[in-house]
Amino acid sequence: MKLGQGNHSQIFSRWKVCLTGAAALLVAVFPLQGQESVGTPSSRVERFNKAPVSREILRVKLPRPVEARLKNGLTVLILEDHRAPYVTLQLHLGAAGALFEPTDRIGLANATALMLREGTKSRSSVQIAEQIDRLGAGLSAGSSFGSPDAVLTGAGLSDNFDEWFAVFVDVLLNPTFPADELEKLKQRQRAHLREQRSSSGFLISERFNRAVYGQHPAAQVSVTPESIDKLTRDALVQWHRERYEPGQAILGIAGDVRAKDLIEKLERHLLGWKKADVTPAWPRDPAPSTARRVLLVDRPNSVQTTLALGNIAIDRRSADYMPMVVMNYILGGGASSRLFLNLREEKGYTYGVYSDFSALRYPGPWRAGGNMRTEATEGALREFFFEFRRIREEQVTAEELEASKRAIVARFALSLEQPARVLGFAITTQQYGFPADYWDSYPARIMAVTAADVQRVARKYLNLDTLQMVAVGDASKINGVLEKYGKVEVFDTHGTLLGGAQP
Amino acid sequence: MIAELEITKDWRGAFLAAWLTVSFTASPLAIEAAQPNSAKDRMAATADPARKPAQSDLYDIQFKEFRLKNGLRVLLAEDHRAPTYSICVTYNVGSRDEKPGRTGFAHLFEHLLFQGSENVGKGEHFILVQNNGGSANGTTNADRTNYFETLPANQLELAIFLEADRMRAPNITQANFDNQRLTVQEERRQSYDNRPYGKTYEAVIDLAYDSFPYKHSTIGSMEDLNAATVRDAEEFFRTYYAPNNAVLALVGDFKTDVALDLIIKYFEDIPAQAPPSPPAMTESSQNSERRKSIEDAFAQTPRLDMVYKIPAGNTADWYALDILGHVLSSGVSSRLYQKFVKEKELALSAYADAGERRGPSLFWLSVMARPGTDLAEIEKLLGDELVRLQNEPVADWELKKVQMQLRRQRAERLYSTRSRANALGHFAVYYGDPQLINTIWRKYESMTKADLQRVARLYFKDVNRTVVTTLPKSAAKPQ
Repeated sequence: MKLGQGNHSQIFSRWKVCLTGAAALLVAVFPLQGQESVGTPSSRVERFNKAPVSREILRVKLPRPVEARLKNGLTVLILEDHRAPYVTLQLHLGAAGALFEPTDRIGLANATALMLREGTKSRSSVQIAEQIDRLGAGLSAGSSFGSPDAVLTGAGLSDNFDEWFAVFVDVLLNPTFPADELEKLKQRQRAHLREQRSSSGFLISERFNRAVYGQHPAAQVSVTPESIDKLTRDALVQWHRERYEPGQAILGIAGDVRAKDLIEKLERHLLGWKKADVTPAWPRDPAPSTARRVLLVDRPNSVQTTLALGNIAIDRRSADYMPMVVMNYILGGGASSRLFLNLREEKGYTYGVYSDFSALRYPGPWRAGGNMRTEATEGALREFFFEFRRIREEQVTAEELEASKRAIVARFALSLEQPARVLGFAITTQQYGFPADYWDSYPARIMAVTAADVQRVARKYLNLDTLQMVAVGDASKINGVLEKYGKVEVFDTHGTLLGGAQP
Repeated sequence: MIAELEITKDWRGAFLAAWLTVSFTASPLAIEAAQPNSAKDRMAATADPARKPAQSDLYDIQFKEFRLKNGLRVLLAEDHRAPTYSICVTYNVGSRDEKPGRTGFAHLFEHLLFQGSENVGKGEHFILVQNNGGSANGTTNADRTNYFETLPANQLELAIFLEADRMRAPNITQANFDNQRLTVQEERRQSYDNRPYGKTYEAVIDLAYDSFPYKHSTIGSMEDLNAATVRDAEEFFRTYYAPNNAVLALVGDFKTDVALDLIIKYFEDIPAQAPPSPPAMTESSQNSERRKSIEDAFAQTPRLDMVYKIPAGNTADWYALDILGHVLSSGVSSRLYQKFVKEKELALSAYADAGERRGPSLFWLSVMARPGTDLAEIEKLLGDELVRLQNEPVADWELKKVQMQLRRQRAERLYSTRSRANALGHFAVYYGDPQLINTIWRKYESMTKADLQRVARLYFKDVNRTVVTTLPKSAAKPQ
């Protein structure tokens, strides 16, 4: 990366010596008013390399949880950690996620999970709420669109763990899905449908996910009035009975517990949870779009344009995963990435600009974007394309590559603060069938990524000709800008196609 | 680089007195010796990561306190639970210290302190922190500004150096100033102008407060941001960014003597400045209800905001009011959720909170109605809930709930070095008392049901409230 020359003559320390003099110098050298309308301010990133840095990377060995399989087939991972009197639980129900719900039953998996808290054989909705809150604990459940899992999480103090864990088990095994509570849930969901359309964040993910995922279930980001109407108590009961299957679930526990005692306790408490015979049918993988599309959601009165640019790339087990981690870090992984330094620190187009990629059991998109002030939409798109082309066409420098790999490896140390994060690594290993030493060898595999690897994956996945370009903003001001990138399909905030090319 | 919405107290007398003594103290070690109650002895005991703490100090955060010759207050909490540490430098300056015509400046200045200093280039701060495995940020609210980094333990010197370099000699050029002005304006657009209900917060504080310090938002107005100059930055730096106007908290995996040596090495020769004069925080008592209705181009559903003027944080009445906030809206079992969301099905969400400020605070109630709901009905029911707090004692289980939530928060905090460093800085700058990190729960536990009823009667009066309704703008309504 080429680093610009900074203006290093005006530093505040001098003011302490000669305040008036330094201030006068500043006034003389620069106009005092903003330069928003007069092109690019010469505000460049610069490195002095004067800070005291240890060249060593603190190598950390992630603690491994105790693994057990209960008689009913449930996989249990327990990470004992007595640093704080606290316990977290996460139960991943691998056959019960929204990814597997029938196309005419959108929202079934999430509704089933949400209803767990709304009544059991021995507790009413209010009793569950009061008991959990009184213990100072937390309990939540859900299944996001595109996820193979329904997830039930709990957290609380270790000295009353038995009490709140009993509620956790009760809602898991004995939910009654009361009809009146289901009606109330459906009413809440209906009320949210309209409210969510006020947010540019919702609108961008709705349009972007549809564009990249096509017919895949992950294209869905919200329930609809029709799908809510179709939710019935019978469907929820059936989903819970058939899909909450211990043999395809992982229970992770981290914190102030004794693994040995706990496993015995789990066998006792989960005795009634029986294996079921269900084989989730994985939908066909989404494929990358083969032609560029430009989609615009007209949100009148917007003072910013929200952008999302991307396409389907890789799944979590892809051989390209490690190079993608490094490539993404360089492109838009944080406050020292190219996109951030260019669009924010140099151009001042935005408060934040990032890239990321989603890699699950099926391929997900890489994506770059952020909120740009409306007048900067054109400049922002130009700079996005500049950065996409640059990382495709030029090999990253050895310095930038090494710094990025170092950043990715060195930050592992921070995860050791939170047992739940360490446990999360182990759950990933389980979910994707990685070898037991996956995270121990992860740093070496990151360090093995070359500049050629980075360029190879950038060329393979950051294809400008097939880019899915989505903008949410004031169409009257940005339609013309977008037209330079292709035929614009315009939608209103309700998701209705207003004009432009046919999808 | 975040302007915080909700904020916070005034312990002004004791607080300023503490700062004045701070400025002229001799050696750091002398100060430690002068503090027989320092955490020295107990700290040695927490140095073993495998050890499970004894019941008595299970939740306590032990730290040592020092003062440099230039007045910098230093709080060191050595803790080897994880191979990491966090530093947080909290400055006694927030948007309440701004001048009329320069709203948003404290936060803009916080951004400028990431733009380089004598030995750190523009943008290099984040590069250095991230490339060494860490994370960093800064936040500004009405009452203080803080800067923090979390890094692997082997990079102890790095963050101490970075924080000292910008306290000593930030390098603010006109180009960087203009760049960050644009960035902050985008932050304003993203967090306020381009978002539903983005105008509501400013409408409420503008109507509820009479005095300038809390009447304006931390993000500031576009107009004032445009008017700000590099010369303002010079003056702001000189006035507020002095070591005797800041607290440095360091928490994590280091040896206290090593860390202290580094802090002395990098910070102690930064000159002290004359203590800034405190902002005028007088807020006359309100004697009639205030009301306003605003239209929102993005909102799809009406929202009711109702605030009552209450005392500063860390006062007996404030603790009682904070408990009431939890009774009303903390958790699914809370009164407002059960009434408005579950039982009556009138709202999407309902929220109540005793905002914590160093000066006059606001007890804030906010209900997002379901589409088509009449706000008058919501306002009446909300009033009924407040009358109930005045007329009936809260239930035992509700009090118990608040205490248990506090315990859980204290337990969770033991994992995160950043959370502890930031909290130490918060208590030290707001109230001059970092030990509150360990003792605050007792203040809550000392509150009786009678106290709660008393404050409900004293503050939840119609004449003491401000009501703002936010309605979807007719033109922006869906067809």
